[in-house]
Amino acid sequence: MVEPLNRQRVLNFLDAFYSRDVEAALACCSDDVDFLANAPIDIMPHMGHRRGKAAVREMWSVVYARYSSLRYEVAATVAEADKVAVHIRAFFRKRDNDRTVQFDIAAFYTLRGGRIAEIREIMDTFDLVQQVLERDVAAELAETGKI
Amino acid sequence: MTEHSLWRFSRALHRAINERRFEDIEALIDDEVDWAIYGPIDMFPFLGARRGREAVIEVIRQIAENVRVHRFDRESIMLGEESASSMLRYSLTAMDSNKPISLRIAHFAQFKAGRLFSIRVLVDTFDLVEQALGRPIHLPKMASLA
Repeated sequence: MVEPLNRQRVLNFLDAFYSRDVEAALACCSDDVDFLANAPIDIMPHMGHRRGKAAVREMWSVVYARYSSLRYEVAATVAEADKVAVHIRAFFRKRDNDRTVQFDIAAFYTLRGGRIAEIREIMDTFDLVQQVLERDVAAELAETGKI
Repeated sequence: MTEHSLWRFSRALHRAINERRFEDIEALIDDEVDWAIYGPIDMFPFLGARRGREAVIEVIRQIAENVRVHRFDRESIMLGEESASSMLRYSLTAMDSNKPISLRIAHFAQFKAGRLFSIRVLVDTFDLVEQALGRPIHLPKMASLA
């Protein structure tokens, strides 16, 4: 049964990432780690698609620069063979005004040789954008009659 | 080998949405089911949280009134003993506008005695809203806010 081991590897990775230890987080990943989080990258350039440790390090460094503290809770995990899915509840505190952005992430990890080789994330991006911008975009769209 | 509960539930859900046949799915939902699809409920009232079989059947009816499923592809799937998670791409048609909508979703489901007991569905909602609007949403770049 490789599933408990892979689940623990992913949890170790999350502990490292959310404690802002970028090198420990990257040590859990393969050299060619492939990251994809669908999101409007013109608003959140620290998401999108990255390939390789250098690109991923750069992206995560932007996250650490913008948010002064990160915290997470695991709502659910499912593991099968070399894949692990985690429902993460994330809390990012903004460095500029201390407000916390809270959002859920469906994160899918594929492991190869005991390291994370692929990360795919899906989240409620509309809500995330509203929290990041601190604007009620839905209300603005409704007011302008665009929905 | 017994079929995983996810497959029965998935078939019944798609029959309910596309054919409005709800009898199969009713039998596959626990009385106390905890259901949530994360997203802007003021724009899409069939998103959000529901509790109990009756409320969930009602919301599936609302989904069936709003969309048709043309195709779905599972990009990733994990099956646990009484749990499952998938990442999927859906091709839908919005019933009111006849517009095609392509949607990326993920779900985490838990089953009890073969019935759905809990489900959390995450959707790439910014993309969904833009598709429903039929145009991009123009917002300031984060770079200018940081």
